[in-house]
Amino acid sequence: MRTPVAPIAAAAAFLVSTAHAIELKFAPPDFETEYAMPYLFIPPPDGRNTWWEALILFGALSLTTWLVFKARSRRGLFGVSVFSLLFFGFYRQGCICPVGSTQNVAAAIFLPDVAVSWIIVAFFVLPLLFSLFFGRVFCASVCPLGAMQELVAIAPIRISPALERVLGLGKYIYLGLAILGVATGAGFLICRYDPFVRLYRLNDNFGMLIAAALILLIGVFIARPYCRFLCPYGVLLGWMSRFSKFHLQIPPSPCVECRLCEDSCPYNAIDMPTPRHLVEDPAQGKKRIRGLVFLAPVFILLGALGGYMMYEPLSRMHPTVSLSERIALEDRGIITERGNLQADTFRVEGKTAAQLHAESLAIKEQFKTGGALLGAFLALIISIKLIELSVIKKRTIFEPHKETCFSCGRCYPYCPVEEGA
Amino acid sequence: MLEKREFDKSDFLWRLSSTITIVAGLFSLLVFILIIVNYWMIKRADPVNHELLTYLRVEYANAPEKDEALAQRIRDLDLITRKAFFTSQTHLRIGAWVLLGSVSIFLIAFKNMMRWRPQLPELADVPTADKEFLAYAQSRHLITWAGIGLLAGGMMTSYFSETALTAELLAQPAAAEGGAESAAGAGQAAAAVTAPAWDEMLVNWPSFRGPGANGVAHFTTAPVSWDVESGEGVRWSADLTMPGHNSPVIWGNRLYISSADETVREVACYDTETGDLVWKKTINALPTSPREAPDVMEDTGHAASTMAAHGDLVFALFANGDLVALDQEGNQRWGRSFGIPDNHYGHSSSLLAYGDILYVQYDQAVEPKLHGVNISTGKDAWVAERNKISWASPILAQTTFGPQVILASEQDADGYDPVTGNLLWSVKCLGGEVSPSPAYANGMVFVANEYAVASGVTLEGAEGAVTATVSWEFNELLPEVSSPVGDGDRFYFGTAIGDIVCLDAKTGETLWVEEVEDGFYASPILVGDRIYIADLKGNMYVFRTGSAYEELARFSLGEPAFATPAFMDNRVYLRTPEKLYCIEAP
Ligand code: SF4
Ligand code: SF4
Repeated sequence: MRTPVAPIAAAAAFLVSTAHAIELKFAPPDFETEYAMPYLFIPPPDGRNTWWEALILFGALSLTTWLVFKARSRRGLFGVSVFSLLFFGFYRQGCICPVGSTQNVAAAIFLPDVAVSWIIVAFFVLPLLFSLFFGRVFCASVCPLGAMQELVAIAPIRISPALERVLGLGKYIYLGLAILGVATGAGFLICRYDPFVRLYRLNDNFGMLIAAALILLIGVFIARPYCRFLCPYGVLLGWMSRFSKFHLQIPPSPCVECRLCEDSCPYNAIDMPTPRHLVEDPAQGKKRIRGLVFLAPVFILLGALGGYMMYEPLSRMHPTVSLSERIALEDRGIITERGNLQADTFRVEGKTAAQLHAESLAIKEQFKTGGALLGAFLALIISIKLIELSVIKKRTIFEPHKETCFSCGRCYPYCPVEEGA
Repeated sequence: MLEKREFDKSDFLWRLSSTITIVAGLFSLLVFILIIVNYWMIKRADPVNHELLTYLRVEYANAPEKDEALAQRIRDLDLITRKAFFTSQTHLRIGAWVLLGSVSIFLIAFKNMMRWRPQLPELADVPTADKEFLAYAQSRHLITWAGIGLLAGGMMTSYFSETALTAELLAQPAAAEGGAESAAGAGQAAAAVTAPAWDEMLVNWPSFRGPGANGVAHFTTAPVSWDVESGEGVRWSADLTMPGHNSPVIWGNRLYISSADETVREVACYDTETGDLVWKKTINALPTSPREAPDVMEDTGHAASTMAAHGDLVFALFANGDLVALDQEGNQRWGRSFGIPDNHYGHSSSLLAYGDILYVQYDQAVEPKLHGVNISTGKDAWVAERNKISWASPILAQTTFGPQVILASEQDADGYDPVTGNLLWSVKCLGGEVSPSPAYANGMVFVANEYAVASGVTLEGAEGAVTATVSWEFNELLPEVSSPVGDGDRFYFGTAIGDIVCLDAKTGETLWVEEVEDGFYASPILVGDRIYIADLKGNMYVFRTGSAYEELARFSLGEPAFATPAFMDNRVYLRTPEKLYCIEAP
């Protein structure tokens, strides 16, 4: 029997960090003078983002690939997960992680004066490359976010595939929002709302800690909720994996169709053989596909329109916009209570409210375009999904869905087929 | 074939592990809830800001003598709160470890429960292929609905978040662009403000007691008499709801007053033509603002300092030491906190601006200072150390040796260079708790205070080398709050017991004393050859300047008068506790 070392470590990290958080929340004494509290500067750990870390990433990816394809060892993958959690998670404090590096790369693309170091590019590209050849081996046991969830997924239940697909839209929304955030200078959303990084860093955001605890708790029964429904990088990995040259197969030798693995994947990632009898009139199926293809541009236009209309609430994710609105509300006496750090800082900075509002208006303009693009993107994704779900591919064996399979190896022990059988 | 897998069957082990799972699970949940409760309690206990403790500390600080009993009480209470806090912290740490242990037991037991469960995984009986196909159809429906939901949700959010505020923001792009432009000119720093010239100040009412705060109006056409009750001469009036003993200031066609109570601080701007409220702004606390309200006397209140209007900017100072600069639209340009002054009646010194500098006389018991504040940035251009506490306001005297800022404190009268803040002269001629501000006319400075003396100080010398000598003293009738005014030949003032006194400026000889109904807090203003002064009952006395008392009018304002009126062309603006009046000559 395996001992769940990692969940214990994770739980310990969570609890200790909670106590830590409270110490920080203990308010420092205040002074009735102009004395300003000096900023607390916490220097980053030394030796961050060096070439050997990229090498370790490469090594871990290669080892995982070997474990998935050659050793077919779920136990080995489990071991690598523990390592990743400790090294990429707790030691490197989850930064920079390939998931977050998406934003750095997006920033380098969209913002003229942002450069990105080759090490970040390596962190971004390596998992994608492996995905392109071997499927999502990165997710299997290298990603520190995935590892933590994989380790707590003790009693996974399967949810309905339809529900799975709908909730899966969440990651496209998140990806779109994250890129919109970077392109408009609103900041790195993925990092701001990364629940796991708080655990790694023993950080003091109580709300996010609770969120992480909840995700892990849910993750005991609904395995990898973040990966399946939220992870923006997972979208890119999935796209790459779709075209992967090699991808793991459940049976090591030809499938005997014993159906034993049918319910083994907690991620609904196993595609089943297509019916051998007719389940629907083919003419009707074709009509549906034609209709969907024809309607796709309409959907996209509608999506763009909806996204454009959303620019107002969307723009509030930009700190300048939310600050400008807060200041305007304060100046008009609508908000009277104080204590908003950003607003108070602005007041002593000497910038005028008019300047701030002007900046905020300019940013809102950007969000009009950004919102429309986001809406169009989501509509495009939905259209593609709908068309895809209408095409019934001929399949005679049980095989992992290349896009959604995490290469976790959970299905291996279910398959009775022996190597070379 | 199934041996390969991790599924075994044992009733006993299954039962055992499920019992442990349930017990450990419930226990973990309980500990978790306790930890959360504990967390909130710690947050609430916050010993640094413990209410009673803070209150007692202030009490202790204000006690005239060391109160040992109170000190002991503070120590005891402090110990208890700290003990509670740290015990709570220890509990939290222990709780965390207990939780860690129980969660681990839960996870291990749960894993085993799954392993020993009596049923082995079963195969479903729906044909696999159909299941997949049905799931496809269901997925299509759900995704379509999700798309519609997203679209509808998005549109609804945008509909409901299109607030009036946004419209308002969008409606002011012009102002916004202007602001951005002027900021660009000044680089990274705050937008530089052009200071108005002295000539411009003369045709406005920029501070307490008019231009230079010297009690002299430069329009001489004010009405001599009016009647608030019948409305005769009243052009408009506005109701005031918030308290504030400061006087109105005027720039262009805008009138500004500040008001405050213990918790709320406000600045209001009125249209001088119509009396309409143009804007009213609540001044929010700054990050460095003191947490508690200052202890002030009721007669002083929380907004005793008169504002300064200075071209594009207006400045307001409140009893808690918060100073703010607003533009004419009420946007806050900057703000800073001087901290609660150690000043037992409450802060009452008014603001005065000249050139690029705003003068803040912060005379308090410890480290009194005169701050020369840069009007554009709010930062100190210079700070002059002062000697003593006072409640008086600075004045700007245009002497033959150049402009000077003249201050009075518990001990001396001092003249400062308005640009550099250098002390030009200082004479020890005062005593007691000084509240009347100095008056300047024709080379003579006049300072006076109840329980001390009044002095005529002669300024001589040349620019940069001014000497000040006390030419004469007078100690019979003295002002307590009301400030004096000079017409060049004579000085006039009102006492707190109800006399109007006129002294010869050269000799200090008493020319006349007029006993009236009540004492004076408001100050006299010289308007041409007339002087206006209102007593505490609200009687306004108008008399002609000269060596004998020649009353031109005496009438009731209908309300007690603390504030000094503002005199503009043909008009008088007057603040009473409940109303703001504009009086116009027929
Ligand atoms: S889906 Fe995202 S979070 Fe999950 S393992 Fe893959 S990259 Fe990591
Ligand atoms: S490896 Fe098997 S169990 Fe794991 S995600 Fe892929 S199909 Fe599912």
